[in-house]
Amino acid sequence: MSFWGFLASVVPADLLTGLLTTGKYLFSRKATIQYPEQRKEPADRFRGMFGYSLERCNVCRGCEKACPIGIIHIESHWEEYEIEGKKRKKQVIDRYDIDVKRCMFCNLCAEACPTEAIWLTTKTYEAAAYERNQALYFDKDKLMRWEGVRAYPGVKPPAEGGLPFFRLGGEEEEEEDH
Amino acid sequence: MNELLWTYVGWPLVKILVILLALVLLAAYLSWFERKLLAYMQIRLGPNRVGPKGWLQPIADALKLFVKEDLTPTFAEKFVFLLGPVLIIVPALAVFSVIPFGPSPNLFVTDVNIGVLFVLAVSSIGVYGIILGGWASNNKFSLMGGLRSAAQMISYEVPMGFAVVTVLVMAKSLSLVRIVEAQKEAGVWFVFPGFVAFFIYFVCGVAETNRNPFDLPEAESELVAGYHTEYSGMKFAFYFLAEYANMVVVSSMATVMFLGGWLRPFPNVAALAFLDVIPPLGWFLLKVAFFLFAYIWFRGTFPRYRFDQLMRLGWKVLLPVSLANLLVVAYFVSLPGGKL
Amino acid sequence: MAELEATVLAGEEMEVSFGPQHPATHGVLRLQLKVDGEKIVDAKPIIGYLHRGTEKLFERETYPQCIPHTDRMDYTAAATNNQGFVGAVEKLMGITIPPRAAYIRMILAELQRIASHIIWLATHALDIGAVTPFFYTFEEREKILDLFEEYCGARLTLNTMRIGGVPWDLPEGWTGRCRKFVEELPKKIEDWERLLTNNRIWKARTVGVGVIDAEKAIAWGLTGPPLRGSGVQWDIRKVFPYDRYDEVEFDIPIGKNGDTYDRYLVRMEEMRQSVRIIRQCLDRLPDGPVMAWVPKVIRPPKGEVYFSVEGPKGELGYYIVSDGGVTPYRVRVRPPCFVNLQALPELVKGHLVADVVAVIGTLDIVLGEIDR
Repeated sequence: MSFWGFLASVVPADLLTGLLTTGKYLFSRKATIQYPEQRKEPADRFRGMFGYSLERCNVCRGCEKACPIGIIHIESHWEEYEIEGKKRKKQVIDRYDIDVKRCMFCNLCAEACPTEAIWLTTKTYEAAAYERNQALYFDKDKLMRWEGVRAYPGVKPPAEGGLPFFRLGGEEEEEEDH
Repeated sequence: MNELLWTYVGWPLVKILVILLALVLLAAYLSWFERKLLAYMQIRLGPNRVGPKGWLQPIADALKLFVKEDLTPTFAEKFVFLLGPVLIIVPALAVFSVIPFGPSPNLFVTDVNIGVLFVLAVSSIGVYGIILGGWASNNKFSLMGGLRSAAQMISYEVPMGFAVVTVLVMAKSLSLVRIVEAQKEAGVWFVFPGFVAFFIYFVCGVAETNRNPFDLPEAESELVAGYHTEYSGMKFAFYFLAEYANMVVVSSMATVMFLGGWLRPFPNVAALAFLDVIPPLGWFLLKVAFFLFAYIWFRGTFPRYRFDQLMRLGWKVLLPVSLANLLVVAYFVSLPGGKL
Repeated sequence: MAELEATVLAGEEMEVSFGPQHPATHGVLRLQLKVDGEKIVDAKPIIGYLHRGTEKLFERETYPQCIPHTDRMDYTAAATNNQGFVGAVEKLMGITIPPRAAYIRMILAELQRIASHIIWLATHALDIGAVTPFFYTFEEREKILDLFEEYCGARLTLNTMRIGGVPWDLPEGWTGRCRKFVEELPKKIEDWERLLTNNRIWKARTVGVGVIDAEKAIAWGLTGPPLRGSGVQWDIRKVFPYDRYDEVEFDIPIGKNGDTYDRYLVRMEEMRQSVRIIRQCLDRLPDGPVMAWVPKVIRPPKGEVYFSVEGPKGELGYYIVSDGGVTPYRVRVRPPCFVNLQALPELVKGHLVADVVAVIGTLDIVLGEIDR
């Protein structure tokens, strides 16, 4: 062993640098976010809970087909209606259920939707429930009106040529323009 | 008659009770202090929910451990399993009977003239608690932890002993109070003449208390929880408490032997007399706190040694160095005019 | 004397079941250890506790639906998993992705490599007893995850690549934040290294532990840092460049002795190289679309394809057999961890129990990928 090697083995410089590093961090800013009081705002694209717009949905079933685990259940029937004297047919949704407890939030349904009727960008991540079979099974009413649901961020209002506006919780104008 | 009763039974009992209570509380709060400090080193906040700033966390922990189910594994050796925690907590607390917290006789339970021996002897009983607990659990990881602990504690006791002998040579007494007084007479803490011994003592002390970087008996990434894997509830709490009490023991011993116990720095320099505003007990606690801080700092920084490396360090490095150091110190002390 | 040793001193062998619920086995790996005292006589990895039948699952999912399932194999490196799968399908269909998409993929993959190496460093150090690096490293990983979240909306299971490109363009200001992060990271890496690299305890625990020489490493089929730690210069990004890796400059760090310490150094340097790649990608990021034209329903032609990427853990390959339908006929994954884990008994034999932990850490295994 050389002299310097011996000296290096006696003087614990390596250990001291380690101690100094932890000592430095002792006085540094802390990274903890005190969760229930402080919350981190998710990014705009954050894939959280579902939002759904019955008005925009044209029942193409693209989301149902796109879902890798098949948790979207859609049932519909055809209804005839008259517009300007012509008979038309349209599909009316009876059931639009998402079994959220099994969802892996992959966003494929939202990407498959041509009318942006389903989206995950609601910035919600607190989806925990005491009883998941009931609380995390969303039918179409619940999908539109669960607490904290947000409108699709990128949609223009109808006045500017966008798709029909999504109504938050809208009790008042329920039966208008379908 | 009443006075006699008070002097020989009442007062010692009160002192013992106070010290015991203070000690248990200190150990509990040491765990809080450790968690908090470690958290701050790790850019976290640590416990801050129970009580203001988390001050009641140790109480909550103790309560939790009290009400936890006390499990005994089916195939455990029941009696020995019970004996383990007792064997570790009793010596850890008993040691404090001889440690002088301050100069007045009211601040220590008793001054035995073989105090150092008493501390070494009693604290080494604690290893039985670990071995027996590890063995009685009937768990392979516990057994390995117990075996590691036995080997580790026994091999580190030897260099530790030599480091202590170095101090004894300098102080020419086995009484802990005398050791402090000797430092006062010499006018210098023994850490300066006995730096090597101090270093060895503290390293061995860390190893004796199974703390990082020598925490192999309870190395959680290897042995799950080591010797106390199967313990729960109060029995686990005893192991836990004993570990912290042992840390306080080692720190107090280091303080008494090397940092001049309750003395202020440079006790004979009159210019520093203003330092006396801190009472002797305060100085003592400050120094102990310094060691405890070092303990936690080590834990926050270092990886863990491997078993064979630990043994090699103990036998091949610390033992020869401590022996050589003892010889050198003894030579200087025996020189004419060697005051130390 | 030898006889005495054989009869009296040789202790009984003890069998220890190390895992699947053990703090150091990185998931649900079970090791059946035969130990003589603390010395390992034999080690047998037992896997399958996390088997979810991913390969079988691929057979009933359409190609785009397979992508989220790849996230869940090596869950510490979802982006590179995506990259391998979509790359394989693109190769089969003959799709060339737009340059911007390729660059975005490279940035994501390199960020993911850093994130994965951070998890490795954190858990490896934790296993060897150093708790603190865990928190320092995870703070940086959190920043990477924030970048991911901003880009694709998820933090762990990203599902961030599609056949034909990437589904989104970068959000506004993302490149600036990414650049800020990669400028700051090397300083942080230095801090972590100050805690470990020269530390005598760290060295004592890693130097000479789990040694495998180059020849043996190749024979065992090791890839990634375990192979490069033995001194073999092999990196899919260099030898079979995919995306636009041929346009960026980077070095392949290699070790000398093939021990745990060298693998540690290799990975630390790889993080720096990843930073270098990301910087170049951000500098050169071209404009343009992020998706190539792909049919709405993806039906690759009949045939077979093997495509591999350099994942953080080694060569991650996808072998896809297509019968011309919307779902793959068979997908076989070549998981780097599974192959690297094979060498574990070889690496730990003769070492101590504590070294098993170090070796598991140095192989950087993820059970999600091993069991699939």
